Amino acid sequence: MNALEASGLGKRYGKKWALENCSFELPAGSISGLVGPNGAGKTTLLHIAVGLLEQTKGSIRILGERPGDPSVLSRVGFVAQDTPLYKYFSVADMISFGEHMNASFDLAFVRERMSRLEIPLDQRAGSLSGGQRAQVALALALAKRPEILLLDEPLASLDPLARREFLQILMEGIADSGVTVVLSSHLLADLERVCDHMMVLARGRFRLIADTNDILKNHKVLIGPRERAGAISGVAQVLHQSTTDRQATLLVRTNGPIIDPSWMVNQTSLEDVVLAYLDSRSAVDANDHELHALREVAR
Amino acid sequence: MIEFRLESRSGIAPYLQIVQQVKHALRLGMLRSGDQLPTVKEVVGSIAINPNTVLKAYRELEHEGLVEGRPGVGTFVLKGLDGPPPHAHAALRRSLLRWIRNALEAGLDHESVEALFDSTFREASEEEIA
Amino acid sequence: MIWVAWRQHRKQALIEAGVVAVAAVLLLLSGYQMLHVFKSSGLANCLATAGADCGDLRDSFTNHYNGYQFMIPLFLLAPVLFGMFFGAPLISREIENGTHRLAWTQGVTRKRWISARALMVVGFALAGSAALAGLVTWWSSPLVSSSSSGRFSPGIFDLRGIVPVAYAIFAVMLGLAIGALVKKTLPAIGLTLAGFAAVRVPIILYVRRYYMTAKTVVTPFGQFKGPHPIGGNPWVISQNTIDRVGTIVGRGGDLNFDYLAARCPGITPPIPGPGQAFKQAGPDVVNSCINRLGLRLSTTYQPAHRYWTFQWIEFGIFIALALVLAWFVVRRVRRLA
Repeated sequence: MNALEASGLGKRYGKKWALENCSFELPAGSISGLVGPNGAGKTTLLHIAVGLLEQTKGSIRILGERPGDPSVLSRVGFVAQDTPLYKYFSVADMISFGEHMNASFDLAFVRERMSRLEIPLDQRAGSLSGGQRAQVALALALAKRPEILLLDEPLASLDPLARREFLQILMEGIADSGVTVVLSSHLLADLERVCDHMMVLARGRFRLIADTNDILKNHKVLIGPRERAGAISGVAQVLHQSTTDRQATLLVRTNGPIIDPSWMVNQTSLEDVVLAYLDSRSAVDANDHELHALREVAR
Repeated sequence: MIEFRLESRSGIAPYLQIVQQVKHALRLGMLRSGDQLPTVKEVVGSIAINPNTVLKAYRELEHEGLVEGRPGVGTFVLKGLDGPPPHAHAALRRSLLRWIRNALEAGLDHESVEALFDSTFREASEEEIA
Repeated sequence: MIWVAWRQHRKQALIEAGVVAVAAVLLLLSGYQMLHVFKSSGLANCLATAGADCGDLRDSFTNHYNGYQFMIPLFLLAPVLFGMFFGAPLISREIENGTHRLAWTQGVTRKRWISARALMVVGFALAGSAALAGLVTWWSSPLVSSSSSGRFSPGIFDLRGIVPVAYAIFAVMLGLAIGALVKKTLPAIGLTLAGFAAVRVPIILYVRRYYMTAKTVVTPFGQFKGPHPIGGNPWVISQNTIDRVGTIVGRGGDLNFDYLAARCPGITPPIPGPGQAFKQAGPDVVNSCINRLGLRLSTTYQPAHRYWTFQWIEFGIFIALALVLAWFVVRRVRRLA
């Protein structure tokens, strides 16, 4: 069963569509990165998935049920943007909150986490640093032992050290439990090392949904003479092109090996590929069959 | 205990980097038969990478017969990696020199030779794994 | 969920307890003192004696405690304060701070979440308003006994008995509903006050008198203004001067001297014409005019013994309104995006 799946999902505010025709399937155990610029619709999508918002069109199923259904409330973990916590609660209060709001809650896990991170239990949540707040919110979400965990820009306001610590703790939690994760961010570097799948969202539409390894394998940068920049064997689509008077640099999606000797073939980074898909001039729609390359992650 | 490092911009798939680092350690004797590899949890706790990456790497090493996974206990080294036999090195060196000379004579400049070698080498590594 | 509700509202509960305690101390101290004077001055005895004229004792007592009149508007506000303090910020603050994104993605349904918290704050409001209502009822008894209006009259009716508790519960529900609609704390607090007044004032002025069919009694004019022809302390809704056939010729039970002057010679209109000296005719002339015209006093009222019936009817109305609001609040919270 897919942990999260959507078909034709759309959300409209007044005349504007915040999400349009979104379809995807995330297998259980996968770690997916939801990438896109601010205002792309990432938060809207996540909020619909956890039942905070209702969609205008299309369908979405989380753990096989409707979002917000009582049967999935305790099996879904969510950390909202800016990690909201009750300012006047102490950390111990927040832990009790988690304990009383969820049928099963691993108290020992949270306490151990807090002591390992040296976060004092009697400190007011409002006076924690950004990194500490994120860790507390993550610990609370993981303590539910959810089957799927969704995080909305958890790294956004963290310094690099705090970001690394957060990801370490998150990955440990995942290694333990096999939980499915959806992580939204506009910071690609962090997602790159952590995600199996990338979902690139811009202006409410998916531009690319693919396996991280496949993306790196099937996209290359070709450098060569400008006049040869026509149909090149092995190139399925040119995503981005920049030329000088003599030279062309192409970011391409391949469908075979590039053996044409005029072209120097270089690796590309995930960031460059994602940026190319985000660029509206390349006008790709990820529901194009060829781009859907999600693989089951065998565990 | 071995510590892994991830080079994010090297262009080599992360799981392959782990495989290579294990093999390197085996070759140099830093890892010996019977040693336990760090658990997936330990690896991702220290370098924040996808646990699946580690699992894939360990599975690959197991497939090559270098390690063995014991459920509930951990992953253990089965055998060391010897370097290639001493005479193999010399023979390989000689044929490589021949190839380089051929390439230069054919008109490739130094950078092209390097680029051709790099991309072909990468292709070969991936083929080997696939 | 009970722990969570208590933890989120415990500061409010403590503040309420403190305020009620302070109010209780003030009321008890001043009330006992007032009661003492009420008895020692002889007013209590006088009022208990049937037919006695206690006018002078009454006046002196009421004058002595004139200052306490300022308490009336304060206690009339108390119920809505519960609404503004407990009800309005509950949902709106949660949304303003974004913590609803935390609260509504735990293992508790939104319905259970709002029900637990709403019940808790309603419980606090119930306890506080009941304590205050009891205290104020006891405290104001001497004042009410010695006043001419009595416990049934608008304003006094609202302070005593069981209705203040219903008002408080209604106010809390109103606050919750407005908070769920407006989603910002300060406007919600202000609108709760406005909304509360918008419901209470029309009920006092226009609706309450119709709970049961009012009685009307017609009495002759004894003097310029008649005493209450009805026993006990009824709620006099209106008094009018009527003529022989029943047409209203003067409102409020006062004599309309314009009317009299037009029909009876010798009676001066209130504003004399040019050349006329103002000197009102003597009582005999006025009385004979009244008798000749057949003028009488018509009093519409609710009998005193209906006081508790009215209290229960109004209590029921406000509790019913609170229940409707409760249904709305739960529905709204479940559908909030």
